[in-house]
Formats: sequence, C-alpha cells, structure tokens
Amino acid sequence: MKWLKKSSAVLASLMLTSAVAAGCGGNNASDTPAGSAQPDGAASSELKPYEVMMVFPDAPQKDNQLVQDAMNDYLKKTYPELNMTVKLNPIDWGAWSDKTNLMMASGDKMDLLFTADWLGFQQQVTKGGLLPLDDLLAKYGPDIEAVEKDYHEPAKRGGKLYGIHTHQELGGAQGVYLNKELVDKYNFDLTALKSGKVEDLEPMLKTVKENEPGITPLVAPSFPLEAYYSSTNLDSITSIAAINTVGTAPDDYTVINSFTTPRYMELAKLTNKWYKAGYINKDALTPGLDAWKKMQAGKGFAFVSDMDILADMEIGKADISPNGSIKAGREMLQIPLNIDRLQTGKMTATMYAISKSSEDPERAMKLLNLFYKDKELLTLFNFGIEGKHYVLKDGQIALPEGQTTDSVGYYHDIMWQLGNQMLNYTRVGEDPNKYKNYEKFNEKISSNRSRIFGFVFDPEPVKNELISIDNANKTFVDGLKSGQLDPEEVVPKMLEKQKTAGADKVIAEAQKQLDAWLKENSKK
Amino acid sequence: MNPKRTNPIIVIVLTLFSLACLIPFWLVFMISVADENWVTAHGYSFWPGKFSLVAYQYLIEDAEKILRAYSVSALVTVIGVVVSLFVTSAMAYALSRKEFPLRGALSFYILITMLFSGGLLPWYLVYTRFLHVQDTLMALIIPGLIGGFNVIIMRTFFTNSIPPSLIDSSQIDGAGEFRTYFSIILPLSLPVMATIGLFTTVSYWNDWFTSLVFIQNEKLFSLQYLLTKTLMNASFLQTIANKAYSSTAQVTTPLESIRMAMAMIAIGPLVLVFPFLQKYFVRGLTVGAVKG
Repeated sequence: MKWLKKSSAVLASLMLTSAVAAGCGGNNASDTPAGSAQPDGAASSELKPYEVMMVFPDAPQKDNQLVQDAMNDYLKKTYPELNMTVKLNPIDWGAWSDKTNLMMASGDKMDLLFTADWLGFQQQVTKGGLLPLDDLLAKYGPDIEAVEKDYHEPAKRGGKLYGIHTHQELGGAQGVYLNKELVDKYNFDLTALKSGKVEDLEPMLKTVKENEPGITPLVAPSFPLEAYYSSTNLDSITSIAAINTVGTAPDDYTVINSFTTPRYMELAKLTNKWYKAGYINKDALTPGLDAWKKMQAGKGFAFVSDMDILADMEIGKADISPNGSIKAGREMLQIPLNIDRLQTGKMTATMYAISKSSEDPERAMKLLNLFYKDKELLTLFNFGIEGKHYVLKDGQIALPEGQTTDSVGYYHDIMWQLGNQMLNYTRVGEDPNKYKNYEKFNEKISSNRSRIFGFVFDPEPVKNELISIDNANKTFVDGLKSGQLDPEEVVPKMLEKQKTAGADKVIAEAQKQLDAWLKENSKK
Repeated sequence: MNPKRTNPIIVIVLTLFSLACLIPFWLVFMISVADENWVTAHGYSFWPGKFSLVAYQYLIEDAEKILRAYSVSALVTVIGVVVSLFVTSAMAYALSRKEFPLRGALSFYILITMLFSGGLLPWYLVYTRFLHVQDTLMALIIPGLIGGFNVIIMRTFFTNSIPPSLIDSSQIDGAGEFRTYFSIILPLSLPVMATIGLFTTVSYWNDWFTSLVFIQNEKLFSLQYLLTKTLMNASFLQTIANKAYSSTAQVTTPLESIRMAMAMIAIGPLVLVFPFLQKYFVRGLTVGAVKG
C-alpha cells in the first residue's frame, strides 16, 4: 500500500514537471522568432546595415572567412545602396538535418536556407519554418523571374511559393555506361540499343561473361529497376502511386501502383535471369558499394546510371562520357536509354528558401536575386578568390600552381546549389560547353512535359500508410532490383503486403487530389 | 555440482563470446591494412590477398587534423572525467549521509532525470541561449558532467561500504566535513571511482553528438565526430548523387581502408585505459550492487 501511495505521488509530480518542461520548450520555439523579427523589420525601411545569413550544406572550408570578406568587399563596392553583408554558414552534410531542425525550432537567425524535398522541405513548410515568397519575388526578384518564371508551380504549398529553384539542368538522362576497351575488343554492335531497351544489352553481357573471367558484366548497385524503370515508364506521384506513361493515352490520368505494370515484371524477371546467369555481382547489396570504383579497378564492363549531359544526346547514341571517363580512370562510353520529361520532383530537388527567423526577408531576397545575375559574386561563392583559390586558364577554372584540392583552402563542388548555374565557369577537364549543353538539353526537356507537371501531392492524409508501405517494401525491393529474388514468387507477396499496409487508400487519395488539380487547371 | 563438468560449457560459451567480440575487430584491422583495389574487387576478407599500409601513411600525412581532433578528445575526456568524478562523488556523498535534510527530495529529483529527458530542443536552448557555450570546449564538457545513474551507484557504494561510525570517529577527532570527505571518504572509494571513471571516460571519448550540435569551428571537432562525419558525409553524398544532382557531382567516398584505419586509431586510448582499471572495475561493480 505504501508502495502504491508513493508511486502515485511520483507519477503526479512527474506529469507536472514534464508538462512544465513541454510548455517552456513550446513557448521558446514559437515566441523567439516573432519577437525578434518585429522591431528590426520595422526599422528596415531606413536600410541600416544588415547581415544576410546563408545556411547551406557543405564541407567546412578553411578559407571560409576570407571568401566571406571578399564577397562583402565586393557587395559594398558594387551595390552600396543595398548596405548589406553576407555571412556564410556552411553545415556539414552529415550534421545537416539535426542541426537545421534545431536551428529552425529554436528560432536561431537564418535568412537564406538551402532546402529540397529530400531534405525535409515539406516538413519545414508544415512546421511554419519558411516564409511565403510570392510578394518578395515579385518585388525584388526580377533576375530570378527572367530564368525561372515557368518553374515555380512545384514549390508551391497551399497556393503559396516557399522555395526558389536553382537555375540549372531541368532533368537528366539515364542509360548504360560501357567500358570502351572491351567494346572495341569484342567489336560490339551498339546500334541494337537504339531501341532504348535495356534488354538489348544481353548479348554483350554474355560475351563478357564467357570470355573475361574476373570481370563483372553488369556492375551493381545501379540496376535497371532503379535508375531506368521509373524514369522511362512512370510519372511518379508518391511512393508507389504513379501514372503509367507507356502504352496509355496522353490524357490518361489513372493512378496505379507502380509495381503492377507488366513492364515492372518484365524487368524484374530480366534482372533475376541475369543474376542467375552470373552477370551481376553477388555483393550487389553491400552498403557503400560504389560502381565507379569497380570500374576503376578494371573489374566491370557495364552499369546502368545517370548520364553526363551532352548537347546532342539521343536515345541509343553512343558517346564518350567526359566525366564518366574521369571517374572511371579509363575511356567510358555512355548510351542514353531515356531522357527525362519535365518532372515536378526535379524542380524541388534544389532550392533556396527564406527562413521565418529572418529579420529582413526583403534583403535576403535581394541577395538571392544577385546570385541569378552577378557572375562575379557567384564565382566568389563557388570558386573563391582569384589568384588564391583558382586561376583562369582559357576561361576555365584551374587550381593555382602547386596547390591540390585539399591544400588550396577553398574548394567545393556545390555549383548546383545556388543561383543561376549557367553563369558559372567550368573547371579544367570539364567540357567547356557544359552549360551551353545544359541550355540545349533544357529546351529538349521543357518541350516534353510530364502529364502532371506542377501537381504536388499532399502526403498528410495518408502519412501512416506511406510509412507502412515503405516498411513492407523494404523486405523485397532490394532483393528484386539486384535480381536475387524470383519476381514470379515475390512480387505477388509484396503486393499483398502493400495492400495490407494501405496501398489502395494511398492510390485513391492520389487519384482524388490529382482529379481536383486537373479540374482546377481545366485539363479534364 | 561438480565444477569439472560445468567448466567446459562455460569455457565454450565464453570463448564464443570473446570470439564474437574479437572477430569484427580483426576484420576492421585487416581491411585497414589491405590494398584498396583488392578490397573493391574482392570485398571484405579476414586475410586480404594484398597488403598495403597506404591508409596509415595517408593518415600520417594528414596528421594535423587528426592529431588536433585527438587532443581535443583527450583534453575533453581528461577534464571531463576529473570534474565529473568530483561533482558526482560530492553529490553522491551528500545523499548518502542520513543527516542531510534534502536527501529524499534530491534523490527523487535525480530519479526523474533518469526516467525523463528534457528533449533535444530545451537541451539545445540551455547551452546556446542560457549558458552561451556553443563553439567552445565547454560545450563538450558540461553536458556529460553528471549522470543520475552514476550518482545512484556511488551513493549506494557510500551507504553500504563506509560505516557511519567511521565518519563519526573522524569528526570526533576534529575533522570538518571537507576534511572527512577528502581524507577519509575518497581514499576508501577507489573502486567505485575507477568504475564510474571508466564509464565517463568511455562516454566522453565516444561522444560525437554534442560536437555535431554545438561545434561549428573545425578546430574543436572531437575525434569521434571526425570519424562519424566522414562516414555520414559519404552516405549523404550518395543520396545527393541519387536525388539532386547526378550528372557532374564528383562523388568522392573516402577509401575503405582509410575509414577502417581511422577506427583503429580511435580505439587506442580506451584499449590502453581498460586493463589498468580492470581490477577496480570488477570490485566496484559488485561492491555497489549488493545491498547491505
């Protein structure tokens, strides 16, 4: 009895303390940003000096401070009317999620924040961590609008824009990389791949398997089912929900389970067959396996992956891959089997947003706008200080004499994160026409829009189902894509599990939202 | 019970157990001295076909960063353990004294901290907004100073193995509270000090999360964080390659053998510390565990 009395007292006081603790935490989180934002916001009309804090994922650079100072000197000299300085606050990739969540929740000052759908953009919007940008963009972002005007739809939530897409390539291409040395040795006929079908690789794999012991014909972990199936066959919506674009009418908007198409079964069987024949390496699922390293070690012949972007890419056309050859340390051919349509997801894969804790969102937007027009500022951010961190060689970026990427103090490859990428220099060794290629490639992609470009699925109503489906998939998907499981037997099992996890509900919800969107945009 | 009959089973079980501990260790070591290309081509192996010391060579060349992280970790661990032992034992000692009026209330308070945590955000706010220790070594030391569990173990030790009459007699001889604590209690509690000292050493040495949250300055990264960071960055880079930007990202995953060599280096101090404290360690645990 005494025990009971004691423990209930314990319980009561515990509940009390935890309630107090929770209350405090909540207050802190919501009050601080609002409280600190108001006084400064009011004063900004006089344009007193303001430091724009940029938060982005990057490995720490030794000369960060130097580059920041150089950027500030430049800003002061070129745009004195903005009376603005910048503070670069890179956060290591591995720490990014934890740290930005904490900073956002505690209301630490941030102005420009890199974000993406794969870095929790949706949650940031839901939690109210980001500012709507429509008005700011209209007033202070003319140079952003000049290049990105048509691509804002995907970053809108509830009708308001929350992220600005980096101006860059609008999609990618997927296909096979082949070791050129072996292609030449066996005189492979590559015209068969004009069909865009990965199946036509089979005779080559067979030859390599028979004649080159010790060389893996098709190197994992990149597989047809992963890099190739969905991009060629689907307009993906979320998780399993997608629209089958092969063999359906262009105005067919029926949402299906992406694992139920005949093509999926075909490719799964193919992979399984290749695995059994020994064309695919057995350790395909070992975490951290890097196909490029196998190529480098001379242990592979082909693999399926994303292609380098070239100006005149066409399905089935073999070209030397410039970057692929560098990565593999030998000549590599690339043959695209698919060129992306303009997809919603790609437009939210690289964005900058303005944080709610910004004390002067207007100047944050003005700075972001500069990165879309000012080559010099963008170059400072991307490549550092001329003479110290880079030198120009025939219009390309090179390391200063005697320096390595480790010793130079400021070297990162995050051109894809910020601003108008087409303004950038290329590095020595890269195709000097890289960005011209991008522009040509973009024309190709933007003229071929996905059926549902601009449609954004709101996962909230089926949140729990999506998680259970993910869990159900885990058991099977890896085994299927590496060919280790027999699809005839496993796919029905997986579909059954997905059903129990709520697949039908997800598909129905996707269809409902899509129909509403179509109606709104009078497509139907 | 015939001891001769039970022995073989125990021996087998213990052998298997120690093998389970040693084999991964051996594997890590072997990869750290294996030839990188060989590992890529053949996968992990207990006896690689080709050896190379490139990884260690590379680490020695890049020694500055690692040595600095090493000294940060060592400094934080040494200061942390000493201060932590002092604070913990002082608190535990006070709680073990029956004369202490707030004994019940404080013990209860400690119990709460063991059952509930304040959550990540309040924790973060205390150190950044209230104590303002972010980006200093203090941020690495303070959070680990006191743990409810350690206080309870020490308190139990003091209550059970130090007879109250000993304290009485020292006070009759004219020693004040502090004199009693430093001259009588501490020398008698070496076993429990060693035990708790080892716990805190391990937790300070292995801690990377506080570095992740509070440290921005590269010079103050602890060794474990440097390691974790390398691994996390590698896996993150693959995500980037998949999701955002695949065409020209130069994805450079650190070499397998270098990762393993770094792990080997990080194990060092703990392996060295343990044998010295082992004898106390065993005694400390049993002494604290039996309630008199």
